[in-house]
Amino acid sequence: MIRKIFSLVALFSLAVAVFAADEPKIEVPLRFDRYYDYNDVVEALEVLHEAYPELTKLESVGESEEGLKIYALTINNKKTGAEHDKPGVWVDGNIHGNEIQAGEVCLYYANMLLTKYGKNEQVTKAVDSNVHYIIPVVNVDGRNHFFKDAHTPSSSRSIRIPKDDDGDGLFDEDAPDDLDGDGSICQMRIKDPNGDYKPDPEDPRIMVRVKPGEKGEYTILGSEGIDNDGDGKFNEDAEGYLDPNRNWGYHWQPQYVQQGAGNFPFSGVGIKAVDEFAAKHPNIIVNFSFHNSGGMWLRVPADNTTVLPASDIAAYDVIGKEAIKITPGYVYMTSVELYPTFGDSDGQMFFVHGSYTFVGELFVREHETYKEKSDKPATASENDRTERNREQLKFNDNVVQGELYKDWKPFNHPVYGEIEIGGWVKMSSRLPHPFMLPDLVHRNASVVLLAANETPKVELEVFEVKELDNNLKRIRVRLTNKNGLSTMTAQAVKDKLYTIDHLKVSGAKVIAGGKINDYRLDQVSYKEHKPEVQFFAIPGHSSTEYEFIVQGKGEVTLEYISQKAGITSTSVSL
Amino acid sequence: MVKKLLHLCFSGMLIVMSSGLKAQSDIGFGKYHTNPEVQQLLKEFSSGNAKLHTIAESPGGEPITVLEIGANLSDVPAIFVGANFEGNVPLATEGALYLSKLLMDSTAYTKDVKWYIMPQPNPDAAAVYFSALKTGQATNLFKINNDGDEATDEDGPDDLNGDGLITQMRIKSIEGSYIVSKEDPRLMKVADKKEGERGEYKLLTEGIDTDKDGKYNEDGVGGINVGIAFPHLFPYENKEAGLYAGQTPEVYGILRFIFDRPEISMVYTLGTSNFCMVPPKGGRKGDASLDKIKIPRRYATMLNADANKTYTMDEAIELFKAVVSPGTDVTPSLVASYLSLGPALNPLEDDLVFYKKYAEDYKKYLKSKDFSTETLDPTPAKDGSFELWAYYHLGVPSFSMQLFSVPKVKEEAEKEDEKDASDDKKKKEEKSEKKDELSEKDKALLAYSDAELDGAGFVAWTKVDHPDFDEVEVGGYAPYLETTPKADKIESLLATQLPWLLKLSTELPEFAIADKKVTDMGGGIYKLELYVANNGALPYPISMGQRNGQPAPVVLTLDGDMELLEGKLRTPLGAIGANQVKKYTWLLKASKNKSITAGIESTVFTDVVEQIKIGG
Repeated sequence: MIRKIFSLVALFSLAVAVFAADEPKIEVPLRFDRYYDYNDVVEALEVLHEAYPELTKLESVGESEEGLKIYALTINNKKTGAEHDKPGVWVDGNIHGNEIQAGEVCLYYANMLLTKYGKNEQVTKAVDSNVHYIIPVVNVDGRNHFFKDAHTPSSSRSIRIPKDDDGDGLFDEDAPDDLDGDGSICQMRIKDPNGDYKPDPEDPRIMVRVKPGEKGEYTILGSEGIDNDGDGKFNEDAEGYLDPNRNWGYHWQPQYVQQGAGNFPFSGVGIKAVDEFAAKHPNIIVNFSFHNSGGMWLRVPADNTTVLPASDIAAYDVIGKEAIKITPGYVYMTSVELYPTFGDSDGQMFFVHGSYTFVGELFVREHETYKEKSDKPATASENDRTERNREQLKFNDNVVQGELYKDWKPFNHPVYGEIEIGGWVKMSSRLPHPFMLPDLVHRNASVVLLAANETPKVELEVFEVKELDNNLKRIRVRLTNKNGLSTMTAQAVKDKLYTIDHLKVSGAKVIAGGKINDYRLDQVSYKEHKPEVQFFAIPGHSSTEYEFIVQGKGEVTLEYISQKAGITSTSVSL
Repeated sequence: MVKKLLHLCFSGMLIVMSSGLKAQSDIGFGKYHTNPEVQQLLKEFSSGNAKLHTIAESPGGEPITVLEIGANLSDVPAIFVGANFEGNVPLATEGALYLSKLLMDSTAYTKDVKWYIMPQPNPDAAAVYFSALKTGQATNLFKINNDGDEATDEDGPDDLNGDGLITQMRIKSIEGSYIVSKEDPRLMKVADKKEGERGEYKLLTEGIDTDKDGKYNEDGVGGINVGIAFPHLFPYENKEAGLYAGQTPEVYGILRFIFDRPEISMVYTLGTSNFCMVPPKGGRKGDASLDKIKIPRRYATMLNADANKTYTMDEAIELFKAVVSPGTDVTPSLVASYLSLGPALNPLEDDLVFYKKYAEDYKKYLKSKDFSTETLDPTPAKDGSFELWAYYHLGVPSFSMQLFSVPKVKEEAEKEDEKDASDDKKKKEEKSEKKDELSEKDKALLAYSDAELDGAGFVAWTKVDHPDFDEVEVGGYAPYLETTPKADKIESLLATQLPWLLKLSTELPEFAIADKKVTDMGGGIYKLELYVANNGALPYPISMGQRNGQPAPVVLTLDGDMELLEGKLRTPLGAIGANQVKKYTWLLKASKNKSITAGIESTVFTDVVEQIKIGG
């Protein structure tokens, strides 16, 4: 009996599972009117690499818990300089296994850089002056299972380390079950004269809570499944849960402080490998980690124990304030304003690797619209929510031809008997329908490109060489950062995170040297020791001047050495 | 180059050692063992039921090893012993070796408990004690650019007086803030302007400004101190901890090794804190009170709570239960995490009960052995230390032991006070002033150095040449003075104190079905009652383990031909106190005279299985 229903449902599900219906060959340029499963992502990276072998390097940074490779595509034009001499731009996605469009944004960014190189000025500049590290899928196991297994839009997020969520000594033994075999975990409801819910009169697919005293028609039973472990609870111990974005080292806190933390920092081998890859590339100055959903650009800090230096906030604003215009409907704020979290990748990238890190929460569901032009402001009352549900369903019916929602269908449940299964399918809610995907990936990749074009670019100009007494000469030099991001985060300078960016004079004996506070008034703060090396970062869109009093003849070289912004040098003949 | 030399030295030692080592371990512990000797001993120990695990490699390329004693045992709880995490307490490493020996020489404490012993988690720092230049440092060879300049590890201390020890240098300087103590000319004190004193000396670590940046010894070789690099209260502000917990491979390897073994239900640490004698310190500010939980405004509406009121944990759990989807288990740890209550910072009251009890017992035990405890107080456990992590994150009893401490100097002034109490006010003032100048610790260290070490514990100030200063003297306390007694004391210190840890091992929880009752309710329905006893002297989990939800559950299982009307096939026991009995009840339908199986199952303790006859 159950089997019969399964086959009936299987027929039905064919109609629903349209995204995977045709499997086109993966070619350059990549297509973005579809979602790539894990194998497709690997293939997409391979074809990009094959098409642009001179500009790309494809490598596995490590393996996941289930032994899948985590790939990084590095885009660098070797003709314009060595990798670590250029500011690095990092883009990753899909650290939560279900947040798959984040992977597509990364692929799109790679595809855009490569296919438009030499054709578009901004792209060409970004490829020539930066190196781009792209990890489209961090949680490879999660993505793989999200496509292969039945899921809700919000499951398959975890690192695949079994965890005993319900404290019964068994691990991952009661996940939801795809009773109707359609590839999605939907909702179960049962007809119940004493239920709390009734169908919305306008759209009976919507369940509306009854008013106090009113009799309902249905009880909602929760996610599709059975009580696999017979403990009287449904679906309470699914895969994990170990949140791959709460398992990083910086400000990690244990499970009882931060849900999903795992047993210790970097207990997940996959994310440990990703972090080690970041550590190997100390030139990275800006990071993007893409997630879904809600439409947000989040910056550090993620918890309220840290205060950022003002100049770092200013640097963030250079990108954040533009990003919200490139992606309509998104907001720009700190991660902690959303809610405090510990052990996320953004803290690690900013405080340990010294990189300006953004989290992009992709997709605004309100963009699934079905309405006439109206000036009426939106509110959040119960009525409006129902109204919004109706609109979403109409969008489903008439804009995406029913592909995001599964109508309630009868099912004979082994425990509950006759029930109905229906609701939003796996590829809905947090993911744009494929027809909206090209817009999403393009806008978000444009933010990354904008950031790449704001990575520090230092210019060095000797603006005065003056003869003094006793065979001494005064050299004055101006350093300008033409772009919006600092050569080094102020936080990293404060923490002495690595060799502080510095200006170094060689070729003559430096008697005195220091920062010019006002060159017209000859106000200089000389450095007491080692005047030939001056340590300082150059914030975005700013200039600073230094003076050196030197003794000697011949060629004097001035070099500004920055771990992230590379080396800029000039020389003068005395 | 230096590394190569060191390596040569070590391999040389190996050759010397291998001939005499057997005798060495037979005659006991008359010396401190070098790193290669420690590893060699462990290799010798590892045969039969003892297995040696290599769990990580230090940045300096040395192995981190754990000796498993009782490798043949399965389904038993385990005790983990770690020693000398800071690398500058060689006696602790000896202690771990000695404990291994005790356990292998007798079967009394290894019948139903497995032991994991890690004598040397910080070999890079440990090697410094045996090197030509002794610094007392706790850091490993992880490369850290401490001063943010162009070079790494370029400006460490230098042995200016050539005595093989890094001590201090006092520099005659008009800018100095120190003067020579009037009470003991060996010591320096900060000049007190109010007393009309004016500084004459600068006090710095012995060395030159190798990188000529105006700072002395600010970027020496190393590194991360393994002893402060664990995740509880990780000291982010201290560069010697690294940038995050587990950044250095020793710590990461230890964390993984221990979490891979849920049977580890007690942890011992040998080092400089002493939880055996002094319960873990409380009084830290910022701990959320679980009796007075505030619900942030943004959650208050959702939870139907009052943001101005405070709630107990039980009340908060009820608020959550009302709004979560059915089937979701609302635990204290879930509530704590959701409301961002933060980590526990102070030992929990219920746990202090057993800590205090065992501290009293331990003092009695030492008294019975004529072992003086009139010594300097143990150091409180450091933020990021292993012993704090074991308690707060593993949630198991964590006992630490300091195997040596310098004897206190008996206060003679006090005796005088007793004799002549007439103008005691003036005397007391003088006394307190004196105390400021020479602390109890200074007095003890100097007296100990004079009496026991012929003054070698304090390097007398002697003039040296210095490139940057005219008048410089080098001197001060010798490194390792506080932690490391003369080698001839090792064996008696270990033999007296370490057996206490064996005794504590017998206090572990132990579960049994103490009683069972089957009541015929009629119609083939039976009530089953099982009484589960914790026959150990420690609760499971301890209070901290309940708070963090970390220790694996102990589960009561039922199996057989029956239908459960009430109750579950698998019932987590929850928390059971020391020597406590708890009752669990089921209602079931079964045929008369059928037998069902009841069990106590866990990954921690020995499983129990019993047959129960229904209606028999």
